[in-house]
Amino acid sequence: MAKKEAKHTFEHSLGRLEKIVTALEQGDVPLEDSLKLYEEGIQLSKECMETLNTAEVKIKKLTKDLNGKISLSDFEE
Amino acid sequence: MNQEKILSVSELTRQIKGTLERSFTNIWLQGEISNFKLHTSGHLYFTVKDDQSQISAVMWRSRAAQLLFRPNDGMKVMVRGNITVYEPRGNYQLDCYQIQPLGKGELQIAFEQLKQKLFDEGLFDDVHKKPLPEYPQRIGIVTSPTGAAIRDMINVISRRYPAVEIILVPVKVQGIGAAEEIAEAIEILNVNNLVDVMIVGRGGGSLEDLWAFNEEVVARAIFLSEIPVISAVGHEIDFTISDFVSDLRAPTPSAAAELVVKDKNEVVEIIRNFCYTMINVMTNSIDSYKQTIAHLTQSYSFNKPHDMLRQRSQQVDEYQRRLEQNLIHHFKALQQQSSSLSQRMNSLNPKLALKRGYAIVKQEGKIVSSSQKIKTGVSAEIEFHNGLVDVEIIGKRS
Repeated sequence: MAKKEAKHTFEHSLGRLEKIVTALEQGDVPLEDSLKLYEEGIQLSKECMETLNTAEVKIKKLTKDLNGKISLSDFEE
Repeated sequence: MNQEKILSVSELTRQIKGTLERSFTNIWLQGEISNFKLHTSGHLYFTVKDDQSQISAVMWRSRAAQLLFRPNDGMKVMVRGNITVYEPRGNYQLDCYQIQPLGKGELQIAFEQLKQKLFDEGLFDDVHKKPLPEYPQRIGIVTSPTGAAIRDMINVISRRYPAVEIILVPVKVQGIGAAEEIAEAIEILNVNNLVDVMIVGRGGGSLEDLWAFNEEVVARAIFLSEIPVISAVGHEIDFTISDFVSDLRAPTPSAAAELVVKDKNEVVEIIRNFCYTMINVMTNSIDSYKQTIAHLTQSYSFNKPHDMLRQRSQQVDEYQRRLEQNLIHHFKALQQQSSSLSQRMNSLNPKLALKRGYAIVKQEGKIVSSSQKIKTGVSAEIEFHNGLVDVEIIGKRS
């Protein structure tokens, strides 16, 4: 679950970053607010970059026991 | 010796049956289907005919269930079976255990029939196509755990975009039960909401090998999936029913892996561009604020107080000059006035009278202006214009 949350953060962060860029581009944000947005945007982009540069693919195999209960285990190729 | 024997109908029929059924086993018969009937029992009844003759045919339910396509009137077929005699009616018929369409293969026919059926039901309509997530975090793969397809997909995804989790649902991709396993896997991923998107497929093979992906149970499972499905069956040239019903058809499993995730470098580039844009926007914005300020400080309205101050100060200077001029003028006038006054004053100066021969008498420091006020026996002084003389008052003459 924690994993899922971290990953959700990536898409969320990227989405937020895109919104910030759009808002800044439209140019109707007051200077002080735009400085705050800018700082947030730079922070988000750092986080996203880090996620991309450190991530490793995780591979799980889904199995079902006789009772129909499913479980995930590491997949060895 | 030729003892004529009288046969009963049953005896004759039994002999015919024995002769016919022994003589015509495992025969291939080519013809056209007519009078096709699917009985509620599940048995198929039809006639195979050519332009001159016809023969009744039946396919029992157990065999009929294995037919991939549905025979219909006018279809040219090859049927395989045995001649059987139905004793109660004295009929003979072909008991078919195989029917193959002529020209097109049976799989081809089956494919076209199911395709048409599902198309008519609207399963391929674009309105049902779900968009793929742009940045999936969990990717389901329904395929064989062995073989090249899964390895290729894992490799491509790892190379392109490692920030994901792959959940493999291992299934049989060909043979008996494969279609059911594939359909169940799609359902499990949905029921447990395990992934954001899934790839369903397998590597290349013959039409028979790929057949599971042409089966209705798989097509329906894909159609019912809430999770977007990418189909990836065989090679570029292979089209399956799964391809039509899925949200996106990938020509191969590797291609599916390319389609399901963006290239990491592309995403990095997107983020970089975001950063450049932000920096540009901010730099431009600050420059523009600077310009605005510069413009404002140079503007008339901003400088008006300054200007007014300068004007006022000029005015003050002007007033001052005028004041000075006035003062000088006034002063000169005063000077003139005062000099004439002093002349007049001079003319009133008693000292001048003294020059003309008058004198002032003072007694005890005070001017004595009347003979009556003068005291006798007290010394007095007379002031001439050029000096004082002490005198003695010796007497008054009334």
